[in-house]
Amino acid sequence: MTSTDTTTSTSTTVPADIAQWLAGRVASYLDTDAATIDLDLPLAEYGLDSVYALSLCGDIEDTLGLVVEPTLAWDYPTVNAMAEFLQAEIA
Amino acid sequence: MTRLEERFGDPYNADNPFGHRTILDADERSTVAEGAEAVLDEFGLNAEFVPEALGGRLVEVDELVRRLRPVFRRDASLGLGYGVTSLMAGLNVWLGGSDVQRKWLADLLLGGGKASVGYHELDRGNDLTNNEFAATRTEDGLVLDGRKEVINNAARADAAVLFARTGGKGGGRDHSLLLVDLHQLDGGTFRRLPRYRTLGLRGVGLSGFEFTGCAVPDSALVGDLGQGSDIALRSFQVSRCVMAGTGLGILDAGLFGVLRFALERRLYGQTVAELPHARATLAGAYADLLTADALVTTATRALHVLPATASAYAAATKLLVPTLLEEAMNALSVVLGARFYLREGDYAGFGKHMRDLPPLGIGHAGGISCQLTLLPQLSRLLRALGDPAPAAVFTAGAALPELDLSRLRLFAPSGDPLLAELAAHGTHPGIAAALAKLTADVAALPARDTGVAASPAALDLTDRYAALLAAASVTGYARHNAVPDGWAELALSRLAERLTPSAALPATHPAAEGALFADLLDRATTGSGFCLDRDPVHRTLAQ
Amino acid sequence: MRYGAFAEAERLEGVLGDPGDPASVFSTAACADLDDADGFPTDVCAVLDGFDLARLYVPAEFGGGLVDYQDAVQTMRMVSRRDVTVAVAHGKTYLGAVSAWVGASREQAEKVGALVRSGLPISWALTEQAHGSDLLAGGVTATRTGSGYRLDGEKWLINNATRGGAVCVLARTDEAGGPRGFSVFMVEKAKLDPATHSPVPKQRTHGIRGADISGISFSGATIGADDLIGREGTGLESVLKGLQLTRTLCCALSLGAGDHALGIATRFAAGRRLYGRGLTELPAARHRLATAFADHLLAEAVSVVGSRSIQALTGEMSVVAAVVKYLVPTRTEGMIASLRKLVGARSLLRDVLEDGAFGKVERDHRIVSLFDGNTLVNLNGLVNLFPILLRTADNATAPDTDGIRAAATVTEPLAPMQHKRLSLLPRKGSSFLLALPAAVAEVEALAADDDALAPLATAARALRTALDGVYAAVRELPAVPVNVPTTSFVVAQRLAACLGGAALLQLWLRTRADALAETGPSTPLWRDGVWPTLALDRLLASVGTPTPAPQAHYDTAYDVLTAQVGSGRLTSLFDHRLAEATR
Repeated sequence: MTSTDTTTSTSTTVPADIAQWLAGRVASYLDTDAATIDLDLPLAEYGLDSVYALSLCGDIEDTLGLVVEPTLAWDYPTVNAMAEFLQAEIA
Repeated sequence: MTRLEERFGDPYNADNPFGHRTILDADERSTVAEGAEAVLDEFGLNAEFVPEALGGRLVEVDELVRRLRPVFRRDASLGLGYGVTSLMAGLNVWLGGSDVQRKWLADLLLGGGKASVGYHELDRGNDLTNNEFAATRTEDGLVLDGRKEVINNAARADAAVLFARTGGKGGGRDHSLLLVDLHQLDGGTFRRLPRYRTLGLRGVGLSGFEFTGCAVPDSALVGDLGQGSDIALRSFQVSRCVMAGTGLGILDAGLFGVLRFALERRLYGQTVAELPHARATLAGAYADLLTADALVTTATRALHVLPATASAYAAATKLLVPTLLEEAMNALSVVLGARFYLREGDYAGFGKHMRDLPPLGIGHAGGISCQLTLLPQLSRLLRALGDPAPAAVFTAGAALPELDLSRLRLFAPSGDPLLAELAAHGTHPGIAAALAKLTADVAALPARDTGVAASPAALDLTDRYAALLAAASVTGYARHNAVPDGWAELALSRLAERLTPSAALPATHPAAEGALFADLLDRATTGSGFCLDRDPVHRTLAQ
Repeated sequence: MRYGAFAEAERLEGVLGDPGDPASVFSTAACADLDDADGFPTDVCAVLDGFDLARLYVPAEFGGGLVDYQDAVQTMRMVSRRDVTVAVAHGKTYLGAVSAWVGASREQAEKVGALVRSGLPISWALTEQAHGSDLLAGGVTATRTGSGYRLDGEKWLINNATRGGAVCVLARTDEAGGPRGFSVFMVEKAKLDPATHSPVPKQRTHGIRGADISGISFSGATIGADDLIGREGTGLESVLKGLQLTRTLCCALSLGAGDHALGIATRFAAGRRLYGRGLTELPAARHRLATAFADHLLAEAVSVVGSRSIQALTGEMSVVAAVVKYLVPTRTEGMIASLRKLVGARSLLRDVLEDGAFGKVERDHRIVSLFDGNTLVNLNGLVNLFPILLRTADNATAPDTDGIRAAATVTEPLAPMQHKRLSLLPRKGSSFLLALPAAVAEVEALAADDDALAPLATAARALRTALDGVYAAVRELPAVPVNVPTTSFVVAQRLAACLGGAALLQLWLRTRADALAETGPSTPLWRDGVWPTLALDRLLASVGTPTPAPQAHYDTAYDVLTAQVGSGRLTSLFDHRLAEATR
């Protein structure tokens, strides 16, 4: 259900480890430490509101230069699943 | 536990004949719970309205307010309908009546009779000076013509105190008060009007009287001819405080209902009470309830201790307290969500209380009449700070001088002793700044802007005065009594925000809020009420 | 000026007649009687069916007559100004069908369109007794069978659940739940085995007493695979998108209730004498009415821009809808409560003033801030958008100026609605917020040539400062999405006020030339920036930066209010004759 448009991005630097970067973003929304985020646990388990989770698509757009459907975090509910999808899109 | 509270039992018990379910069913039929008035008869509630010297139990007005609380906490229609208006009528007679009148009315009330008070005419609202109901002097008495409308208990009252036009010169001597025995009137010239259907307070029997050349003896006059406004305005000082105080029971009950719901209901994986917004709303409503109680308590005690300034305090109390209570109920309704809109189910009592709170003062003294009482007095009250009020005005349980209605004045002297409390004992910086600003604004207020045609900006001064008086009451009460931790801090901060809007975000008081919430929970689980006196109550949280 | 969105409304007024005429089916008196009896407005709904109001519930692309959403708002406002109950009881079908407009295939949407056009009431079953607004906790399940699904569980507090012929149900299709665990089904009762569903009795309510607020319980009800709207797992998405439309359209209920209350209070004041003079000669009474009118104009302006934004700024509706649904009902509640103090004892009495309509409209209107996402839900929605709104502001993302122009120029035709363009997030932020600095500069430039606009320029600058304060506050807020702190709600309230203010400034800037070119009773409101200055006064006071409008502006508003009410026109920024119009 998620599709992407590829847009060219002028000033973004793609992080080497997308999963770690995403974990950092999720941690910041949860006001916690990235080390505490289990990459294979659904974000909802952390109590991340499903609508709030949509905000991740803005971070992705800014940092990775990818325009993704806001529902990305619904369709790929763990950090690893999301990272895998994004990796494939970038490649 | 007070006898009334005990007799009424747990409102959340579905089998309780005085529980929410029965009360709501009765409300649907525009009446009160069957047997509830009999409980009040048995308790002798009318005796609370009659001074001790006349055989009743009325000694201290703040105690009267507390004794009425279990009734209004249960059902505002029951409290109003049973006859707080008997008190309003009675006050005029206790103050201005002859010994014969006083004894007659006292005996009538002590015997379970009811008195109506006839001020209101629909076309005149709170504007007593232009009332049209008239009493004309004849050789052998007075002849009454006109109508009194939206009058509590008019259909069943035994006696009525009527505010009547007796002169036409213009000014304060055009009206007189009459005490009439309704059973003695000529049925051909007097009738009781049909009951009004009402959209709130549905259990209250509001109707009216119509007089067409109805003769009454001279002895019906309460005080002298032309003394009506004088007596009424002084008795209002008591009734305004009492009527404001009745609302405390309603917020107390509403707050309990929403707390009960918040502890029971789960949303987003936790109870509603764990959501920060809900918790802050509950703590804020609790703080405001205590603030309102502090103002009511101070104003009622001031009737005894500071009778010369009581007219301002009573008007400020009747102006601010209903607003504070209504706003708190509104905020609580958001936590309750859809259930506040339902007339059935466990929490339907809240919606009924919320519906009944605003009209409680209708037909008595609306906000504007209180503002118009205050406005001309402000410059004197604020001209200089008076001597700080004596401790007895704030200290719960301290002995009070006897209530002497004749010492109440229509116009306060210079220097406000309650506001002096703020200056003498320090306060929240926002409150101090607001007091300085009000003092300056009042000094600049032209006298011509203090009458009925006052500008909105001038009327706004009275709102600010009332909020400052509340701050003084909170400060004084907290200084002289044991109060819940965090209350004074939160209360003053909330009053400061009310007084002075700020672009800065509201200050947060996590410790104070936490302490208040904990106290609220403690009271709810240990059967204590949420007002300053922590009265024992019979109500249970959900299992 | 005249506003084209009133065309259908005017036709409807002609059909419904003067609400003060007790002989008319849709009279104030008849509605009051129904209310006493908790009676459903069957006859009134039949009149609305005769008018074929339901064609405005179906978008033109799916076979209906809904071209511009603003028309639906202003038409429904005419229903609501007579009785909110009827608007809720009839308009509900749009809510029941909206999931199809936003989430179904064309073929399916056309089928639902035909269903609506057939006159079948459809209800929208989202909430359950134990969960309320927490949709992801929903316990109604749709379990796959060989040929379709089996529905089990109970939906509660559903408008028209009992009277409706079809129910659009949000149900769990994945046991684990989650945002992809729910789906929406269009359940036609006639197609169900009667033994597998039963109504949950109507709940008696304090307001909209006649409405069918009930529930429906399913036990093994079988439905077909083709009753699924869109694909499995898209339920939450289509509900959230549908809510963007319905929350915006809810403003029609508030505007109508506000029209009603203002009308009653203004007529009452005109005839009342107190303290030896007319009530309207007392400055405090005039100010109360003028202030209420300012609140009403504020609500109307935000509603006009909001409803035009559905087509003009479709992708931003997640933020616009939350602002409209928060701001308009709460401002209207406050306005009615303030007017109640003027009306006094009559607000309590059933039979003394206009059939007790004042007390009724206050009670009825309270439903608006409650349903379809209450005040907290909408503020929470804005809190969720803080990161993206802040980021787009910091990046100086370009606003969609064409979209703003279309949304705010009421004389400009709107582009056809494209429901597929609704988005769960305003990807590029909020154009109204992003364009506020430019709008303020525009007002300042106008004020430089026209002293009369100085108060508006002052207010506009204060609004910009307030928005800067909101951004600064958002930066300081902890990102705690689970337990939103109380301060975040306060910031969200201020953000809503700023966005509302930004939208209404655009309305004045883009439409004023056309408004001033036409002379009518409302024209004085558009001169010298009278109405936006008043509306900003009201908004800025609510965010802690009072910027009082000149007394002369309040006087102008008072004069227009009394002229509109006195001649039977709508209380509005625009000139619109009601059925009771006298001239």
